[in-house]
Amino acid sequence: MIEGIRVIDFHGHTGRQDVIGMIDNPTLMLHALDRAGIDVACLFHIFHPDGTTSNDINARFIASHPDRFVGFAYVSPLMPDRMVSELARAIDQLNFVAIKLYPPYTPWPIHDERWYPIYQFAHERALAVIFHTDHFPTNRPRFLGEIAPLFPRANFVAGHAGNVPEARAEAIAAAQAHPNIFLETCSTYRTPGVIEQLVKEAGAERVLFGSDMPLMDPRPQLGKIITAAISDEAKRLVLGGNAERLLRI
Amino acid sequence: MSDLHFRAQVPVFDANVRIGDRRDEVSAVRNRAELLAEMDRHGVSRALIYHAQGEFLSPLDGNEYLQHWLDGGERLEAQWMVMPTAESIAQVKAAHQAGVVRAVRLYDTRHAGLPFRPWAYDELLSWLSECRLPLWIALPDMDLHELLTTLQQYPDLVTVHVGAHYSHHLWVRPLLNGLPNAYLELSRYEPIGGIEALIAEFGAGRLLYGSWFNRYAMGPILFYLHRLGLSEPDLKLICAKNLERLLGVSSVIS
Repeated sequence: MIEGIRVIDFHGHTGRQDVIGMIDNPTLMLHALDRAGIDVACLFHIFHPDGTTSNDINARFIASHPDRFVGFAYVSPLMPDRMVSELARAIDQLNFVAIKLYPPYTPWPIHDERWYPIYQFAHERALAVIFHTDHFPTNRPRFLGEIAPLFPRANFVAGHAGNVPEARAEAIAAAQAHPNIFLETCSTYRTPGVIEQLVKEAGAERVLFGSDMPLMDPRPQLGKIITAAISDEAKRLVLGGNAERLLRI
Repeated sequence: MSDLHFRAQVPVFDANVRIGDRRDEVSAVRNRAELLAEMDRHGVSRALIYHAQGEFLSPLDGNEYLQHWLDGGERLEAQWMVMPTAESIAQVKAAHQAGVVRAVRLYDTRHAGLPFRPWAYDELLSWLSECRLPLWIALPDMDLHELLTTLQQYPDLVTVHVGAHYSHHLWVRPLLNGLPNAYLELSRYEPIGGIEALIAEFGAGRLLYGSWFNRYAMGPILFYLHRLGLSEPDLKLICAKNLERLLGVSSVIS
């Protein structure tokens, strides 16, 4: 807790990539969360296109500390026949609370109709869907502006808020145009003024704190929010208020 | 102070600050007063600064532009860019003779095809070793094998390695093990628990706080260091004292 706020990290992974030091050791992760004052971390596993393998790995990890971790479901249009049934299993049986998609692992941009069954599922269940977004062809945040009005009960989250200036501007414009688009803050580029820009231009109620743990330690990512020149009320929304509302947790 | 706000609790000397515009990017601070205001906002007492033009275009020009930002060493210490050309080395040598050089930063020549090898860098590296001037090197510009094998031929040279990122995760230990006089600057070092692991393995004496402002925000890594649970002596080493020792300057304003 920070100043009575239940801090929720909206962007985290399970699984290892040893070559870049991404190690999903729960002891390390909990230590970092505790030092930072982060209460809950949202986690997903994105390394198996069948979805099921990833979601089961994720569920086992979360079960070790269900008071601190919540799960997001992963599926991929590389195996389209499995998408909806696996989402239903992950939400209904594994108690996951949202959906994570990783378009760079596919050849299809996020506004391609191959992704639509996922969005329809999210719309029917009023779930949040977080995407990796940046300036690459499958992940452009401007595509969110095309799908958001088609599935108005789903909430679409631009992970990394576009990551780089050109894509960040697209993400902000999409959020300004559509009430069901949100912007998440984690990025290895800790460019000065970005948090301030997101809050000013998209509104504090549309910005979500995330860290990308354990690819990155959550402490410097939290530091981006704490050291930003934004109001205390904005910090409260970004750190936890918005995520609580979106995830209903 | 509320936990929604942060200000450093120990004296801080930022080891890595870039000032001035790039040709394709406008700096977040426009002048010395704005830089000092940003430092004050986070509780940073002093900073080692270099000019963006020296990093991307000309070390000679960059060093000239840098002079307009300095304040007589009160809070801003100059870092001189250098490349292995006669003109660049002569500029820094002249400044050194005038007593105004405490730290030097390597201009990246690898992107222009000149590798970091003794046959290309011997004059510069020998002179820096002789003068006991520490050399800052940006890791993203380097090849690890070239870096290690070259620097091992200059065992007296003190180096500070800047910008280690998670993509350099496998580099860090060979670097610190292979170069006893090497220090690691922490502006981009974010592997989970990574700084605690390095302190346990190498000690706080090998690490330096740097923000790499204005490329990156000044506060987040400083906030991170304050959330490691370090002893106050170790936090002081990383935040200022290691750099003061390298530069041979007295303690920062507390």
